[in-house]
Amino acid sequence: MGEAVEALVLSGVGKTYAYSHLGRTTYTRGVENLSLAVRAGEAFGLLGLNGSGKTTTFKLALGLLRPTAGTVRVLGRSPRDPQAQAATGYLPELPYFYPFLTPREALRFYGRLSGLGGAALERRIDESLAVVKLSDKADRKIGQLSKGLVQRVGLAQAILHDPQLLILDEPVSGLDPLAIKEIRDTLAALNARGKTIVVSSHSIFDIEKLCHRVAILRDGRLVAQLARADWANAEGGLEQLFVDAVTGAEARP
Amino acid sequence: MTGLRAAATVAVNTVQESARSRFFALCLVFGGVVLYASLVLGLLAADQEPRVLLDFGLSLIELLGLAAAVYGSATIVLREMETKTIYLILTRPVSRPAYLLGRFLGLMAATAAAMIVMSCLHLAILFAKGWAWTPAYVAAVFGSFLKVFVVAALTLFLALFSSSILTALVIALILWTLGHFLAEIRYMIRWGSGLGVMAPLHALSYVIPDLQLLNVRDRLAGPRPLLAPLGYAAAYAAVWLALAAAKFSRKEF
Repeated sequence: MGEAVEALVLSGVGKTYAYSHLGRTTYTRGVENLSLAVRAGEAFGLLGLNGSGKTTTFKLALGLLRPTAGTVRVLGRSPRDPQAQAATGYLPELPYFYPFLTPREALRFYGRLSGLGGAALERRIDESLAVVKLSDKADRKIGQLSKGLVQRVGLAQAILHDPQLLILDEPVSGLDPLAIKEIRDTLAALNARGKTIVVSSHSIFDIEKLCHRVAILRDGRLVAQLARADWANAEGGLEQLFVDAVTGAEARP
Repeated sequence: MTGLRAAATVAVNTVQESARSRFFALCLVFGGVVLYASLVLGLLAADQEPRVLLDFGLSLIELLGLAAAVYGSATIVLREMETKTIYLILTRPVSRPAYLLGRFLGLMAATAAAMIVMSCLHLAILFAKGWAWTPAYVAAVFGSFLKVFVVAALTLFLALFSSSILTALVIALILWTLGHFLAEIRYMIRWGSGLGVMAPLHALSYVIPDLQLLNVRDRLAGPRPLLAPLGYAAAYAAVWLALAAAKFSRKEF
């Protein structure tokens, strides 16, 4: 797949959820008129309070949801295009794996689904396990692993097929400080190797360290887009800019 | 990745998971129940013991196979949606029909393996009680598997249509029961033809699986054509799987 200049583009995207119960339909806004462009090779952060539309945005980019307005392009293609899917890695928030499988077996399964096989698959499994520092736990049942180790399995499956674009939903959620630093360093190393990273986190400190740009969502709408220079020069850093944006003190769409 | 290769990968994973989570428990339950029954029946029906044990064992194999397959069909996709493991599959280049087919065929393979192991245990006990081997035994177990197969396909559709495990299980068990009385239901429809009250029953008769056709176990002494049951089971399951795939393809996560 050719290198697209923009890894992820959302143009005027809207997503409204419809819930029907006893013949009555209620509508909830997921995101509204959202336009974003993430450049190839960039580390891009998505910030917002709970329910602001971060996970909805990710699901739209992954083809798990269909937009009710606008268009989504991943590496120049539709999110459900097999070539776009093969070039994208995804880590959901609090990933869950089949507890009876070992990390190596789980990675073998996901690798095959990504079109890998044979010696190349085994090599990629070993490399991915090494990147997330899980080689010594590779043959224990996932059900016996701690939350932090399961999160590493999640990251390993996301990078297994060497994707161009990584979409990571709260990758350090619930981890201890050492594990957070290790995962942040791993992501920085992947980005340095040219991988595009789109990441959401409630840890502004981690986003600030990792990302080149961030978008801030409030109630499904984009309220600010900031580059590293913006928060580097701002009093209070990214945290203050975030607070201003989500409280409406200084919205900069 | 081709659809068939993806389906095969998902099917192998399903067998692996089923084997570790349920397979041995099911076979142990069966072995224990049949061994206990052989002791009790030996006391109660001394002269008919092998015959009673044969019927009892075949019924139990069918019921345990049904329980495993119907519960598996009702839960396998909904549980994956709940735990979000499905995200890690559907964000890869795997079509939704291929995923669904793989899960179903894997579940059926695990169920078939469990029924074969139970049959081997059953045969060992029958031989120990002096039962004379007949190939009709294999036909009977195969017929039971076909019954389980069609009801499982129907259950998978019901689970996806209703998004409720309980609803799918209840409707599947009702249709399983009615499926053993389809000839009687058709007789009632003919008897009451022209009566408006029969219209819903008439429509329902096209949905209910004809389990009498597949009930080879009840015809052990007579002719046991297998081609017609096999063709019927394949066609019936194919229709429900196609409907399930259509429903699943439109689903959002």
